[in-house]
Amino acid sequence: MIAVELRKLFRRPRTWATIAVLNALPILVAVLLVLTDLAPRPGQGPVFLSAVFVNPALFALAALAIVLPLFLPIAVAVVAGDAVAGEAQAGTLRYLLARPAGRTRLLVAKLVAVLVFVLITVLIVAAVGYLVGTTLITPRPGLGNGGTSVSGTSLTQQELVERALLAIGYVAISMLGVAAFGLFFSTLTDSPLGATMGALAVLVASSLLFTLDAASPIAPYLPTRYWLSFVDFFRDPILWRDITRGMALQGVYVGVLLGAAWANFTTKDITS
Amino acid sequence: MAALVAVLASLPAVIGALPASDARTSAAQLRAAVLASAAVPFSGFAESAGGLDLPVTDQLTSVADLFSDRTTMRVWWRGPQDNRVDVVTAGGETGTHRDATGTWTWEYERGTATRGLPTPLALPEPPDLLPSALGQRLLSEATDAELSRLGARRIVGRDALGLRLTPQEAASSVRQVDLWVDGDTGLPLQVQLFGKGADRPALDTRFLDLDLSEPAAETIAFTPPSGARVRVAQEADVVLEAGRRIRPVPLPAELAGLPRRQLGGVPPGIGLFGRGVTLLAVAPLPARLAGGLRDALTQSPDAVADSAGVRVAAGPVVLMLVDPPGRGPYVLTGTVTLDALAEAAAQLPELGGTR
Repeated sequence: MIAVELRKLFRRPRTWATIAVLNALPILVAVLLVLTDLAPRPGQGPVFLSAVFVNPALFALAALAIVLPLFLPIAVAVVAGDAVAGEAQAGTLRYLLARPAGRTRLLVAKLVAVLVFVLITVLIVAAVGYLVGTTLITPRPGLGNGGTSVSGTSLTQQELVERALLAIGYVAISMLGVAAFGLFFSTLTDSPLGATMGALAVLVASSLLFTLDAASPIAPYLPTRYWLSFVDFFRDPILWRDITRGMALQGVYVGVLLGAAWANFTTKDITS
Repeated sequence: MAALVAVLASLPAVIGALPASDARTSAAQLRAAVLASAAVPFSGFAESAGGLDLPVTDQLTSVADLFSDRTTMRVWWRGPQDNRVDVVTAGGETGTHRDATGTWTWEYERGTATRGLPTPLALPEPPDLLPSALGQRLLSEATDAELSRLGARRIVGRDALGLRLTPQEAASSVRQVDLWVDGDTGLPLQVQLFGKGADRPALDTRFLDLDLSEPAAETIAFTPPSGARVRVAQEADVVLEAGRRIRPVPLPAELAGLPRRQLGGVPPGIGLFGRGVTLLAVAPLPARLAGGLRDALTQSPDAVADSAGVRVAAGPVVLMLVDPPGRGPYVLTGTVTLDALAEAAAQLPELGGTR
C-alpha cells in the first residue's frame, strides 16, 4: 500500500511542478548574484548567502535557507493537506477504503508518502543548489578557504560536508510538524484547500508570535521556533541546545497530531 | 490523548516547581563565596533580558541593545583571564575570546576580528552581563549591612541560594539586586536588578545550561581566519583622548554626595563617582558625538530638558547631556536618580556651580 501511495504521489505532474517551482527561486537568486556580483554582507539577507562567493558549494545551504521560511512549508502543506481530503474530494476515498487494507494502514501509507516527499524535496533543493552554486558561481580569489565557521574557526572540507548533511537532515525534520498539521487537517475536512490553508495558518501564526516579545513564554512551543537552528551546526563547537529541542518539539507535534489524525480518521463516517 | 497532551504540557511547570533546598549560609559567607568563584571553571548557556530603552546614537547601539534586548550567550570559562563568550543570534554570532594579553572579538556579520588590549576604561560588553561576572562585580563593594538572605530557588537544576543587595546611597536609582548563588561553587546563577519604583527587573540575567567541568583550552583560543578583516579596537581611546584634549579640567573629588574613585591611567577630565551599584560617570564628549546624542535624547518622550541640560531615565540607568555654550559638552551617566544627576551637573567645574 505504501508503494502504491508513493507511486501515485510521484507520478503526479503537480508533485514535480511543486518541486520545480521550489527550485526556481534559489536559481533566480543565484543568477542575480552572478549578474550583479552583489553578495549580501554576512548576517544580512538569507543565511549563508554571503558565503557563496567564498565557497560556492555552500549555495546548497543558502538555497535551503531561501525556501525554508515560506516556499518549503507551503509545498509540504499542499501535499499533506491533499493526502486524505484530496481522495475525499475526488470521490475515491470510499473505494480506497473498500479494500481490506484498513484505515490505519491507509493513513500510515499517506504519512510515509508525505515524509518521503519532504525528504526528497529537501534533498533536491540542496542538490540543485549545489549544482547551481558550483557551476554558476566562481569563487573570488583571496578570500581564503570557504571553511570558516560562524564562530570564526576553520572547518576542514570533511567537517563542512558532515555538517551540511546534518543541516539538511534537520531541515527535513523541521518540516515534519507542517506535514503532521496538514495530514491532521486533511482528515477533518473534505477540502484539500481547507486543510492546506489550516496548516499554513498555524505556521503564519507561529512565525508572527515568535517575533513578539510578549509571546516569549509560549515561544518554546511554537512549531517554527527552532527552524533556523540549522545554522547552529556551523557554530564551533556545534550548539546542540536548540537543535535537540527543535527535534523533540517536532517529535511531540508529529506524535500528538498523528494520534489525533488516526483517532479521527478511524472513527470517521466516510461520505464521499 | 487529551491526558497525554495535558501531561506533556504540564511537565515544564512541574519540573520548575521542584523544591530547592536552602542552606544555612549567612549573607556575608555567600558574598565571600561569590567573590571567590571567579576562578571556578565552567561552560554554559546564559540569557540576559533588559527592559531599558536607552535613547542613544548610532555609535552606541551595541551598548543600548545590551540593555534593551534579549541577549543569549554561550560561555566557556577557565578563569577571569582565559575565557570565551559568544553572543548567539539567529543567523550569526559575536565571540569574545579573552586571554592574559587582551581580547579577540570575532563578528561573523562583519567578517571582522578585532584585537582589544586592556584599557583603563571600557564600555559594557556582553561578557559583562553573564550572571557570574555581573554578580561578582555588583557584590565586590557591597557591605554586610546592605546584604540580606532570601530563600532558595532551583536554577539549571541546581540549588541556588538567594542574596539581596539593597544599596544604601540615597542617590542610587537601584532599589535592590537579587542574586541566586549556587551553594556548592558560589557561582551566581541568576542576577535580577530592580530600579526604584519598578516591580519588574530592569535587568534579568540567568544561566539556562551549566556544566561545571573545565572547558578545553582550544575551544577558547582564537586565530583570525584567513580572509577576515583584522582591526584594533579604538572605542576606549576615543573617550580617553577626549578626556585629555577636549577638557583637561580636573573634576571635583565629590559629585552629588558620591566620592570620586581612583582610576589608573585615566585623565583627570574623566571621572567615575560612587561605590558598588551606585555609580556615576562623567566625561567630556567630542562635539560631533554630542549633537547626535542630544537629538536622540530630546526625541525621547521621557526626556527632561531645562537649563541644566537634557536628561532621561531608562529604568535605573540615567543619561544626561550638559552643554554650556561655547565650552563643549559633558555627558553624565550612571545608576543615580534624576535629581542626583541634576545636582551633579550643577557641581561640574566651569558651569557656575560649586567649584
